Amino acid sequence: MTEEIEQVAQRYARYTALGAAVITAVWHLGYNLTVTLTGWQSFRLPWLNLAAWLAYAVVFAVALRPLARDSRGPSRIRELAVAALALDVAVIAALPPHELLGINDWAWGAVGWLGVMLVWGRPGWRGELIAFLAGNAAIMLAAMAATGILDRVAVSKYLVVIVGGITMQFGYTWGCHLLRARAEDAVVLARRLAADDALRESAQRIHTDRLRRYAAIRDVAEELLQQLADGADPGDPRVRDDCTAGAMRLRRLITEREDVPDELVSALRERIEAAERRKVMVTVPPFGEFLPSLPDGVREDLLRAPVRALDGARTRARVTVSAMSTMVSVAVVADNDDLPISHTPVREPSGVVVTYQRQGGEVWVNSIWQRSPVASR
Amino acid sequence: MGQQHLATEPGGEPVTVALVEDHQVVVDGVRSWFGPTPGPVALVAQGPTIEAVQGVTADVLLLDLNLNGTMVIDRVSELCQGGQRVIVFSEHEEPETVRAVLDAGASAFIGKGRATRESCLETIMEVAADRPTVTPPMAQAIATDERPHRPQLSDKEREALLFWFQSMSKASVAARMGIKERTVRQYIDRARVKYAAAGRPAPTKEKLLVCAIQDGLIQPDEVTIYTSLAARTPQEPR
Repeated sequence: MTEEIEQVAQRYARYTALGAAVITAVWHLGYNLTVTLTGWQSFRLPWLNLAAWLAYAVVFAVALRPLARDSRGPSRIRELAVAALALDVAVIAALPPHELLGINDWAWGAVGWLGVMLVWGRPGWRGELIAFLAGNAAIMLAAMAATGILDRVAVSKYLVVIVGGITMQFGYTWGCHLLRARAEDAVVLARRLAADDALRESAQRIHTDRLRRYAAIRDVAEELLQQLADGADPGDPRVRDDCTAGAMRLRRLITEREDVPDELVSALRERIEAAERRKVMVTVPPFGEFLPSLPDGVREDLLRAPVRALDGARTRARVTVSAMSTMVSVAVVADNDDLPISHTPVREPSGVVVTYQRQGGEVWVNSIWQRSPVASR
Repeated sequence: MGQQHLATEPGGEPVTVALVEDHQVVVDGVRSWFGPTPGPVALVAQGPTIEAVQGVTADVLLLDLNLNGTMVIDRVSELCQGGQRVIVFSEHEEPETVRAVLDAGASAFIGKGRATRESCLETIMEVAADRPTVTPPMAQAIATDERPHRPQLSDKEREALLFWFQSMSKASVAARMGIKERTVRQYIDRARVKYAAAGRPAPTKEKLLVCAIQDGLIQPDEVTIYTSLAARTPQEPR
């Protein structure tokens, strides 16, 4: 779901940017080129006009590259903006004064689209685009003043083209910006909802799991109380062991605090519960709050040997996990008589080192992972 | 101080303990551990709150952390400031909790999870004598401390602590490390002393440091180094 929304947002960003380029290209080929060729005779300096048309195409091409690649305008736009405004001046200069604001005066309405492409996706796009469009409007006003065309009709024409051009160019940029912003908001919201869902699901799972374990312990406690009520001897070591084991499991449930269990911890818990179902008395000090993230394969290598020791425990086992940011150590001490042991440390390909030791009827299996040799010094 | 050091000497007076514990079954259990009087340890006062035993003179205060549903970690510092030796006795063995009470000046932490009569008595006697003592939850908490003001433990000291937490006995740690059990004890005790020296000052920690120097476990100049480290530790707001 989140992925889909992210893809939609990315597409918005990409296609609105390409849309600006397409409008500019269509305008340049459809209108600018047509008047450049069909109005050739009307120009005072047709070659200067053609050069301006080519300069427009060059600025377009330069702006297109970053737009197509990253959906944003070039990183340095000042020189390109100046070039765009200069070609505006060149077209005005190429025309005879009576053609000013006429059909062949293509550049002052069209350079605004180059401005749109240049400021696309930049943080200060509003100010930059306004400055660019204002510069363009000022150039035309200055040309009108210089040639003495400031009558009512000319000013009206000027205002119509300026308002029309700015509305389209600024409007398109503004509209697309809003679209992108909303799409990005949707992505942020979708991510937050997905995180909430994951947390809720995990909390639900933990809660259900704890209820299940409480129920299991309640059954055990009930059975024990029943046995005692039926005359079981509290002095009997077996009865006492059963009581101790039940109390331990209950205590562990009470001290568990993590909201989202680590995968290593979850895997261990499963084996601990399996051992307890076999009436093995398992002591497990709390694992602490912090376990570093482990590279691929390390968790499996860390767990394999200690879990084997736990699975084969006869009557008792102690499971410990020690962790730092650079180290995780898992150990099991158990009365496991059958576990084959190695007298030398076993080095797994993942970097986990497993050591075994037998002493006083117990086996101690300890697997350690360290982030790097430097950290383990 | 010297008198306290004599408390565990043969023929000396029993070590007196006050117990703060809100569960009668635990009180009875502890009482049975201390055994028929006169033993090496005598329970002289007991109550369900800290206030219930305040004013009682005892060598050691044995404190349950969770009293009637409230964690009393923040009371440990105030208890230790008066010079009272405090041993925390709790099932909340998470390294973070153990470090918090040790920082506050507690002399030791006994985990209810696997405390035995012998280990409990041994810890009480050592603490009463201001000698360094490290229970398995303490070993884990000290070894995995990564906070900025943590003491600089040597690799061997850290290794000994971790193995002591995760193995079955100090003898197996010795076999694993290929050293004598006495050396294992030395590593662990030195780590404890360094830890006391690096934390916030508390009279109980000072007693431990003085005794560690008397016993030749560390040199006086080593304490200077670590207390200077401690001086950089910001005080917690009260």
